[in-house]
Amino acid sequence: MVKRMRWITMLLFMCLFLTACMNTPAEQVGETQETEENQAISDQELLELNAVNPEDIEVFSEAPELIELVESGEIPSVEERLPVPEDIMVEQIENSIGQYGGNLVTPWEGADSKWLIGKPTEEALFRFNEAGDDIEPNVAKGYEVNEDATEYIIYLREGMKWSDGEPFTTDDVLFYWEHMLQKETFGKSVYDAYYTIDPETNERHLAEITKIDDYTFRVVHAFPSPNFLKRVAIDNKWFFAPEHFHKTILPEFVGEDKALEIAQEWGFSDVNSFLQETGYYYWVYEEIPTLRAWVASNDPHSEEFVMKRNPYYWKVDPEGQQLPYTDNFIASKIQDPSQGVLGVLSGEFTIGHFSMTDFPVLKENEEKGGYQVFTWPTAQMASTTIQLNQTTQNDNLRELVQDIRFREALSIAVDRQQISEIVTNGIAEPGQAAVPEGLVGYQEGWAEKWTDYDPDQAEQLLDELGISEKNAEGFRLYEDDSVVTLTIMEPNQDNSEFLELIKDAYENVGVKVNLNYVDSGTFQDRKYSNQVEATTENPMITNVALRPEVLVPLRVLTPWQGNYGLHRETGGENGTEPQDDVAMLVENWDRLISSPNEEEASEWADKIYQLHMENQWILGYTGPMPQIVVAANHLHNVPQERIFADELRELGHGRPAQFYFSE
Amino acid sequence: MFQYIIRRILLVIPVLICVSMIVFFVIQLPPGDYVTHYAAQMSAQGENMSQAEMDAMRAELNLDKHWVIQYFLWMKGILLEFDFGHSFSYNEPVTSVIDRYMALTLIVSIVTMAFTYLVAIPIGIYTAVRQYSISDYFFSALGFMGMATPNFLLAIVLMYYSYVNFGDPLLGLFSSEFENAPWSWAKIQDLMKHMIIPIIVIGTASTAELTRVMRGQMLDEINKPNVVTARSKGVPESKILIKYPTRAALNPVVSTFGWTLSNIFTGSTITAIVLNLPIQGPVMYNALLGQDMYLAGTWLLFMAVLTVIGTLISDILLAWLDPKIRTEIKGM
Repeated sequence: MVKRMRWITMLLFMCLFLTACMNTPAEQVGETQETEENQAISDQELLELNAVNPEDIEVFSEAPELIELVESGEIPSVEERLPVPEDIMVEQIENSIGQYGGNLVTPWEGADSKWLIGKPTEEALFRFNEAGDDIEPNVAKGYEVNEDATEYIIYLREGMKWSDGEPFTTDDVLFYWEHMLQKETFGKSVYDAYYTIDPETNERHLAEITKIDDYTFRVVHAFPSPNFLKRVAIDNKWFFAPEHFHKTILPEFVGEDKALEIAQEWGFSDVNSFLQETGYYYWVYEEIPTLRAWVASNDPHSEEFVMKRNPYYWKVDPEGQQLPYTDNFIASKIQDPSQGVLGVLSGEFTIGHFSMTDFPVLKENEEKGGYQVFTWPTAQMASTTIQLNQTTQNDNLRELVQDIRFREALSIAVDRQQISEIVTNGIAEPGQAAVPEGLVGYQEGWAEKWTDYDPDQAEQLLDELGISEKNAEGFRLYEDDSVVTLTIMEPNQDNSEFLELIKDAYENVGVKVNLNYVDSGTFQDRKYSNQVEATTENPMITNVALRPEVLVPLRVLTPWQGNYGLHRETGGENGTEPQDDVAMLVENWDRLISSPNEEEASEWADKIYQLHMENQWILGYTGPMPQIVVAANHLHNVPQERIFADELRELGHGRPAQFYFSE
Repeated sequence: MFQYIIRRILLVIPVLICVSMIVFFVIQLPPGDYVTHYAAQMSAQGENMSQAEMDAMRAELNLDKHWVIQYFLWMKGILLEFDFGHSFSYNEPVTSVIDRYMALTLIVSIVTMAFTYLVAIPIGIYTAVRQYSISDYFFSALGFMGMATPNFLLAIVLMYYSYVNFGDPLLGLFSSEFENAPWSWAKIQDLMKHMIIPIIVIGTASTAELTRVMRGQMLDEINKPNVVTARSKGVPESKILIKYPTRAALNPVVSTFGWTLSNIFTGSTITAIVLNLPIQGPVMYNALLGQDMYLAGTWLLFMAVLTVIGTLISDILLAWLDPKIRTEIKGM
């Protein structure tokens, strides 16, 4: 079945290519997009415009549909719906002041991809800034922190309201903290960000949170936590929940029986999955008030899931127009990813993001389809990688993969130029898996480590490992005469081109490779039971101090760490205890989180990066690839370039509330 | 006859019990379960579940129990409360998930089936009567092409032409503005416009097949003694055709009704995925892939029930249509 679907996709592309070739002369492609945005205001004017103080805005205005509602008396006037003037948030405009109307329509594969619409509409307490390296106020107005980073005072916006008009106050934060997060009602344990670690005893201490007044609360840590707010911005973006709603469904308040009854009314079979869905994936349920620019208005399993403008949204543009500009944010259901591309070509979808494999077809039809293609850089370590499980169950193989010479041999046995050209159309530069320049943790020379193509040297390194004997087919043998074999388990068929080249290169130096394609569920199962010898999983990397799991084995997640992660996750009960440099990683991490200030923390972070550079547990063959963001021509204020990363909320980093349509 | 029907209905019960067991056994065969699949899906979107979270979820959904116990719990629900279980990914009872897609599935299937019968049977009769004429060759060639072309390929070709000529590949069953709108004449027109491709695509293969079957049967029947006799007695040709050979030639059409019935309720799967149709096929395909076991199980069970019922109906219809079979049943 999967194979057949691939055929369908390929055929679809062929058809589309034909269209493109027949109708668009090649030289016309890509000329049109430059001129359009330039007609807008100059950079200087934009800076001045964006620097406006909310108190200086004299008149606030709203969307025509809301004016009607105000006139009919259904909702209060815009001034009453917004927070008090000095607490209103003025959203920075990307290019120009917009106008109301239009729908953002994006393809999604149904309600299971809730994050696809969750991320761009998300409102965090503090969000990441444009560069992605620090936080800035969002739901919270600001904060103060004492010198040793143990006490934070956080200010909310006075007069801010939930999407149903109820006031948003400190009580909503404390309610979430006391009755939901700490009681684990939605299936997540209290996030690491709220713990500090005693550097002497390694004991974990939970933060204390207290209310100061309706719009101010205090967070006290037992030990310094310099990165606290950044970590909250990643671990627990929404540190609040509508108390008035959750009080009506939580078993603590309505009793177990009543809670089950309510859950069943909603269609759920049990209370736990009901609370998990309503407490964690709340944005797809129209009954639950949120702080987002658009709120759910129908069943997420519909063919079109429509999120409607939130009349109580608390951000305005520099001229006092209440955001968002667009009426609805619509997720339209597709059954196959290729239909997303097709929908963009036919103008059905006005915004969306795609992987680089769709670049040629999207770029070629750019003019005819009436849209623009932007490339947003990603935080990938590499676009093509091989991760070797350091704790694989095969004793012979484990000894090999833990030996740095084996990894070096597999790195230099591959012609990166060839991979770059064949697999990435020459878009990704040949290189090692490394932190890309411009991101936290960049190390000079890392991307060039072990990248010279030299099969002879690779053979020599392998010979040194005691596997110099070869059988008649040219494959190396262990001392017990079994063949040196690496099984690469792969859940993503799109990587088959890359894997064929890798197989060829590895076998060229005598290491037999089996390729084993499995579905993603099976892969997950195998990964958690430590049965994956090697795979291609492609790690995303933002600051290790904030999201450590890719580089530091703290839990089962990244394939190269194998069972090391399980060891930490279960407190040493299961899994394999890290040794040598891997143990150093964990030790450095522990030091990092108990550092009293950011400078010291970043020193420990650097040590983690350096250990990775030295050991290269993740072998990369080509550098990072951008993500494609596509926007209809008449959709404005979509940034040409922004870092595309999960931590920065992907498309949400472009601030969709200020996107607008010109017609 | 009545006794025969009762006996057949009673026989259905053990068949269904066996089927339900096989279905459940097969569904839990692939490695992993709904939780692993769900975790994989979430991790692709950046949310990573820990082992403990996965275990808790498994316990909640009763997935940590042996499959035999799960089977009995499922059967208990069905028999005592007519509860087919919950769909994990929809978070609602399985029956309401099936219900959600039923109307559109039936519309697409029934229209397609009507198209098939209305086109295939007359052409089949016509090509048999005019054997080896130019029109026979034309329809035969068309029929072979229709049978040999995979549905999804035809779907892509038609979508391509629609996109090139009208700028709209006509995906789905409704345009965006009608998707959540209440029913109206404009919405029905929009639906009809979107139905053209699915009907042609899903209908073509079975039309081609049915034409060939009909033609072959007719050729067998058309020179039988009863037809010759009727003709010698001066009965008009059109009356002869309908009364004798056509009636007999319908036999294979009716006897395959059993499969047709389950097809009506499930719709086609691959074509529906290609054309992005909101009907049962793709929903069930995803349920099987995602190990949403109660949804997949109920659906497979449902298909089995329909096949059994369909076979029963076609047996009864055959008895009514064919005097020879009728006497055989009476003889028992």
